[in-house]
Amino acid sequence: MLAVEVRDLAKTFRSGWFPRRLTRALRGVNLSIPRGVIFGLLGPNGAGKTTLLSILATLLLPDAGEAKVLGHDVVREARAIRPRLNMASGNSSFIWSLRAPEILAFYGRLYGLHGKALARKVDELVALCELEAHRKVPYTELSTGLKQRLALAKSLVNDPELLFLDEPTLGLDPDISVRMRAQIAGLRRERGTTILLTTHYMREAEELCDEIAFIKNGEIPARGTADALKRQIKIGDVISLRLDPASGEGLTGLPGVLRCVFQDGRVECTVDSADKRLPEILRWLHEQAIVIRDVDVHEPDLEEVFVELAK
Amino acid sequence: MSWRSELGRVYAFAKRNLLMAARNVFFVFELAFWPSVGVLSIGLMTRFLELTPEMTAFLLIGTMALSTIQVCQLDVSYALLFDVWSKSVKHQFLAPMEIRHMAFGSWLVGIGRGLTVFGLQALLSWWAFNFDFFQAGIPALAAFLLGCFLTSAIVGLLVCSLVLLFGTRAEVSAWATVNLVMVFCGIYYPVSILPEPVTVLAAAFPLTYVLDAFRSHYGFASAFSYPVLTGFLLSALYLALAHRVLAAAVTRCRRTGLLLKLSE
Repeated sequence: MLAVEVRDLAKTFRSGWFPRRLTRALRGVNLSIPRGVIFGLLGPNGAGKTTLLSILATLLLPDAGEAKVLGHDVVREARAIRPRLNMASGNSSFIWSLRAPEILAFYGRLYGLHGKALARKVDELVALCELEAHRKVPYTELSTGLKQRLALAKSLVNDPELLFLDEPTLGLDPDISVRMRAQIAGLRRERGTTILLTTHYMREAEELCDEIAFIKNGEIPARGTADALKRQIKIGDVISLRLDPASGEGLTGLPGVLRCVFQDGRVECTVDSADKRLPEILRWLHEQAIVIRDVDVHEPDLEEVFVELAK
Repeated sequence: MSWRSELGRVYAFAKRNLLMAARNVFFVFELAFWPSVGVLSIGLMTRFLELTPEMTAFLLIGTMALSTIQVCQLDVSYALLFDVWSKSVKHQFLAPMEIRHMAFGSWLVGIGRGLTVFGLQALLSWWAFNFDFFQAGIPALAAFLLGCFLTSAIVGLLVCSLVLLFGTRAEVSAWATVNLVMVFCGIYYPVSILPEPVTVLAAAFPLTYVLDAFRSHYGFASAFSYPVLTGFLLSALYLALAHRVLAAAVTRCRRTGLLLKLSE
């Protein structure tokens, strides 16, 4: 069963009168997200992440294509979808004079909660997001971290089946980010919530997401697990060697060696697969009577994949 | 759709407006300062011009109608403007709520605030200028106030539509739109003195009939037949239209992306 199903989705923003400026935010996106996963959507600024999320959240109407959320069309059946999803973003904001429980109660009522169920839910969320000590503080006086925790709490007010998190840890201190990530992971683990997450932090995506899609210029050029993406992009592994004597020009000609860089007495060989090529390189060096002082193997991380894809 | 959930959504907006009214100092100005200044300055002007009690009543009725409408329509506009000012518009439209919840909840608080303003002004005009607002009788007064509150709802919905169509540039309409009423509905003069083509326009405003009906109890012959009925029928028509316009503005806002821009 799919939580999200997107086919040929396109959106162009128009601005100005003369000249009329067109910004093609999405150019025929195709995407499917199974239920119960944390799905990451990565991409550079202006790639179309927020546009895609907003269409799926029924906040924005697409120009072309089709998007289904929890089995319902986002344009024709938006009313059926809205009670079942929610959204939090890193730049969320709420009304300045209201306090956290009042904000949660306001949105709780909009989602159909009332009476004791509403009071229980507000207390539960205040506790979950560690806002007890700040119950009486107006929103405007909360710190950035508390505001973001409140945004997350608000996004859980209706126990959503599908949760959109748009850069939820943006601008947070590292310790708060870690706790926020733990909470997000807990949501999927304990409640089975499907989460669609956009982030600029590769570590966050690698740590949280079951699957990742890269979006660039309104298209999705790659998707898969973090490991699959690293293989798919073929940046290559790096074998770093300190040799005695510091030579090894012949390494470049070995099979699977993509390039070698000599620097500061070390040679860094980019190879298609370290597992496969390391024994061959070591054998060749032994045959050449070159002594190996130090070996280090480095696999590309998601950040490098991101940089490669964003080029 | 459960009725408790429906009422809960209406209550959500009403409670939010109430909390904001209780915590922000500019609401005190809206409720007490400007209405008092309005009644006192117009009342003193009637004294300076040595107007008859009937003419004084004519002007004070107009002043009080304008203040009541202004305060009530602001509450309807605030239902959206609070979110625009705090950049939280998207959260509201992400939730399963409809325009009717937003408009009705905030309108109820607007009625409460409008009655407060009216009460204050009625007391002030009775104390300072000997003007008895209850002279027309309770049914006529109730019809007058209801007419004012219906006009407020229409203006408030129109302001919300303008903000959703033109963004924050249209915020000023929350305070400016009601002045159209002042020009066309005969707040300070009978609509009969307007130039001929404009009287046709004046006849299209429900408040024109509401004022006409109420002033008929203070010695001014009514210019229309069935003014109360006409005023309410026109109000109902415009309310339905304003609701449709706002719904269309929300859809357009979702299409253009303004809904997101208002949240950034």
